[in-house]
Amino acid sequence: MFPRFAAILALAALGGGLFSQGTPAAPGAATGQTNPAAAPLSARNATYAITARLDPRSRSLTGDELLTWRNPAAVPATTLRFHLYYNAWRNSRSSWLRERLLAASDRSLVERPAEDWGWIDITSLRLIDGGTPLDLTSELRFVAPDDGNQDDRTVVEVPLPRAVAPGGTINVQIAWSSRVPRTFARTGAIGNFYFLAQWFPKIGVLQDAGWNCHQFHASTEFFSDFGSYDVRLTVPAGWTVGATGVERDRRDETDGTTTHHYYQDDVHDFAWTTSPDFVERHARFEHPSLPAVDMRLLLQREHADQAERHFAATRAALRYYGEWFGAYPYGHITVVDPAWASGAGGMEYPTLFTAGSRWLAPAGATTPEGVTIHEAGHQFWFGIVASNEFENAWMDEGFNTFSTARVVEQAFQPNYHVKRYFGGFVPWTFYDLALTRVGDGDRPSAYRALAKVDAQATPSWRYWPGAGGALTYSKTSLWLHTLERMLGWETVQRIMSTYFERWKFRHPRPADFFAVVNEVSGRDMTWFFDQVHRSSNVFDYGVDVFKSGPATARGYFGDGNGRAFSDAEGPTDTYHTTLVVRRYGEGEFPVDVRVQFENGEEMRWHWDGRDRWKAFEVDRPSRASLAQVDPDHVLLLDVNYTNNSAALAPKGGQAARKWSLVWLVWLQDHLMTYGFFV
Amino acid sequence: MAATSAFRDGIRRVNGAPAVLLGMFAVTLLVALPLSFALRGMLAAHLGPSLAAGTALSGTNYAWWQEFSAQASGLATTFVPSIIGFGAVLDNLSALLDNLPLATTIAGATAAWLVIWSFLSGGVLDRYARQRATRAHGFFAACGVHFWRFVRLGVIAWLAYAFLFGYVHRWIFTGAFGWLTRDVTVERTAFLIRLGGYALFGVLLVLCTIVFDYARVRTVVEDRRSAIGALAAGMRFAWRNAGAALTLYALNAAAFLVLVLLYALASPGTPGAGWAMWLALGLGEVYILARHYLKLLFYASETSLFQSRLAHAAYTAAPAVEWPDSPAAESIASAGPAARF
Repeated sequence: MFPRFAAILALAALGGGLFSQGTPAAPGAATGQTNPAAAPLSARNATYAITARLDPRSRSLTGDELLTWRNPAAVPATTLRFHLYYNAWRNSRSSWLRERLLAASDRSLVERPAEDWGWIDITSLRLIDGGTPLDLTSELRFVAPDDGNQDDRTVVEVPLPRAVAPGGTINVQIAWSSRVPRTFARTGAIGNFYFLAQWFPKIGVLQDAGWNCHQFHASTEFFSDFGSYDVRLTVPAGWTVGATGVERDRRDETDGTTTHHYYQDDVHDFAWTTSPDFVERHARFEHPSLPAVDMRLLLQREHADQAERHFAATRAALRYYGEWFGAYPYGHITVVDPAWASGAGGMEYPTLFTAGSRWLAPAGATTPEGVTIHEAGHQFWFGIVASNEFENAWMDEGFNTFSTARVVEQAFQPNYHVKRYFGGFVPWTFYDLALTRVGDGDRPSAYRALAKVDAQATPSWRYWPGAGGALTYSKTSLWLHTLERMLGWETVQRIMSTYFERWKFRHPRPADFFAVVNEVSGRDMTWFFDQVHRSSNVFDYGVDVFKSGPATARGYFGDGNGRAFSDAEGPTDTYHTTLVVRRYGEGEFPVDVRVQFENGEEMRWHWDGRDRWKAFEVDRPSRASLAQVDPDHVLLLDVNYTNNSAALAPKGGQAARKWSLVWLVWLQDHLMTYGFFV
Repeated sequence: MAATSAFRDGIRRVNGAPAVLLGMFAVTLLVALPLSFALRGMLAAHLGPSLAAGTALSGTNYAWWQEFSAQASGLATTFVPSIIGFGAVLDNLSALLDNLPLATTIAGATAAWLVIWSFLSGGVLDRYARQRATRAHGFFAACGVHFWRFVRLGVIAWLAYAFLFGYVHRWIFTGAFGWLTRDVTVERTAFLIRLGGYALFGVLLVLCTIVFDYARVRTVVEDRRSAIGALAAGMRFAWRNAGAALTLYALNAAAFLVLVLLYALASPGTPGAGWAMWLALGLGEVYILARHYLKLLFYASETSLFQSRLAHAAYTAAPAVEWPDSPAAESIASAGPAARF
């Protein structure tokens, strides 16, 4: 039997000083104690002591947790709500799977065999309130606060016999059993590789407006409160375990298993992985002004030669995010290189993340660097600044995409477009196609395709399931980069670092970020966020008319007897240039307009960009050669920047000829390849 | 004759008919050019007078490319980075082996090209079988004589390939591959399994191709009119001469691989403007010409092997095709003596 009682004791010891209603600290609790010398970084509202046992033969996970929860809201808590994420894959009636099917015609997810599905059941829920535990298991009921789906079992609620007052604390002991799915949404198992995330009953976040405990949706991630985690994980002996936090001790059991004991304060989630096949490597991040970080890398054997690439990318993230935004405080980080086809790659959890690489990973590409930087970066935007991913996924994914692109630009140049052939196994690097921060890092292609689908301000869980990535990752990165080009990096860096410092270990909302932008920039940027965040308007400015010729005029000139017809009235050494720029999209943004003349002279105007069009006419001693609207490409959300410029000696025809000839060879080769059949 | 001798003899026959090589090259070019012009128009329209054109002309403008792709439809969707240099070869081979769908326009052009090539292959095989100049009228007469036979044979071939690509391919690469790799967590292992799949599918394709190749050769050399008979004859020949036929196929395939490797080393990548553009095009066209040469070498060497294994070498059953007289001359010739006055 599981040492359930030990967990209760341990957690009671953990939270003892904070409890106002809970069990007093039990004497003799040997493990799981916080370091009394270390001041808490967070409010530690949700603290867990968990014991769990994985049985790979039945792919089952049974566990027991003692939750010590403090009511952080200004209202009393009459119920508790828990996430049961694994039930998203209990059957095809879950909201997660229904939403997935909304946006995809591919039904392979729901046609998976029986052994692929997963579920989680709470087998016991008891209040530990001083004396006899109060069993509330029979009071549990599933709720669907978002969509009313009666078949969804990803949120469970239990009424409390006595309300928990604001600031009050309660101890809840929960036992559960679950079946680990074959990976869905980056959690699950394949072969002997297990990645276990969102794997235990996790309490929602109580806010003044009530429980913020959303069902699991297809296009969102997670939200939970900070706390401490004291976790004992029993797995087959000889299997490596990587988890949030650090391993405090390890005990070999008599039944051929080993229990690994991990501990971490001031995090809002706990994930872990286990496999007998990991190759383990260690390195250390050191920096003159940032805390050192021990890096642990759990690598697939076939990627053993890529260890330094993973470390270099993690170092780059810790360095630049640390220098730009704020220090990484935990002192350790675990990088998990997931197994091939596990579907667990590219995901972030506190002090641990999954990267992702390929057996053939050419040096000129940013695999595994890109994903490693991104997920390491989530330690800052998600792990430390813990915005609500259900409602405002752009606040972590978008900020992090922007930051990742900036780090890649700083530390991993040049890198190139890579295409994989023959079932996706064989990479080919196109050294002619260097990737840039704007063109690749900010992911404009994804945004262009789905720019109008939803306004970014729509709660993320209500995004059209296929559009989440474009609106959270791409659009945010593009508008933050636009902001950087408007205000300058120095200002944006101060904005981000101020926001980080002010909201670390807390849960900021969009208005909190916007307030920091206004405060630090010294400008009211409401108009900007109205455009880029609160609407789904598309931006597209362009040159509509551009011509330049002699400034002479034709017609009748003069008055009275002096009136005469002239074909070329006026100075012959002056050129008249006409430029009409146009706002093709609904989005409005102030832009510069530039005309360059053949003699090298240049003229610039500023246009507020509100009207549908604006004309500029000038007489100069030289003919104009080119015109541009937004010449510095400040507005990176412009979905068609090609039409932003015009030259009076256009080269479009020549360029088109060149590329059509390149394409011609491809087509001829295609025909000859199909010549196989005759 | 051994396979190696047939291969050498095939080279001699292809070298002896440069007009055939150039003609077939021209056909491919003429099928491809109109689509290239169409794409050129789309690219020019999108680039317009923009400054993006300048960078696209002097090198690669990936930002513009992505914008173009975002609004592309139909033919324009095929304008992807894979067209650059050796990527084109990988793209096409991979698309064929992975049975990826073609854009409608490309599929149409491919079908048209296959029909034209089928039409001309009668003349090509006839020319290589005779080993003497047949001139244009002889060449096209042979094309006409064999075309409908090849169409009938083509229908059977289409059924066979449709079965291979529509059923066997799915069975190997979706069913078996998925089943074999379901719990594989090592990419290298999965890749080896995939290579095994390619090998199995490749063997089936090659066996099928060899039979249809010799069916075509026998149709021409023996003046066979029945497609089914020719197919049975091709099968018999391949079965009885399996070693030589397979060795010859391997030699031809090896020659193709050598060419592909050479192109991998010499492929031009993204050209600049002006002479660099024409030089890159020239290199690309030399490679395409070499592809035609090797395709025709398949024909010529297989014809040589077949002829060498008959009762007497260089046997050609089909009579020399005579181009008919003009309708007027034919009327006069067929009219009675009284009608001549």
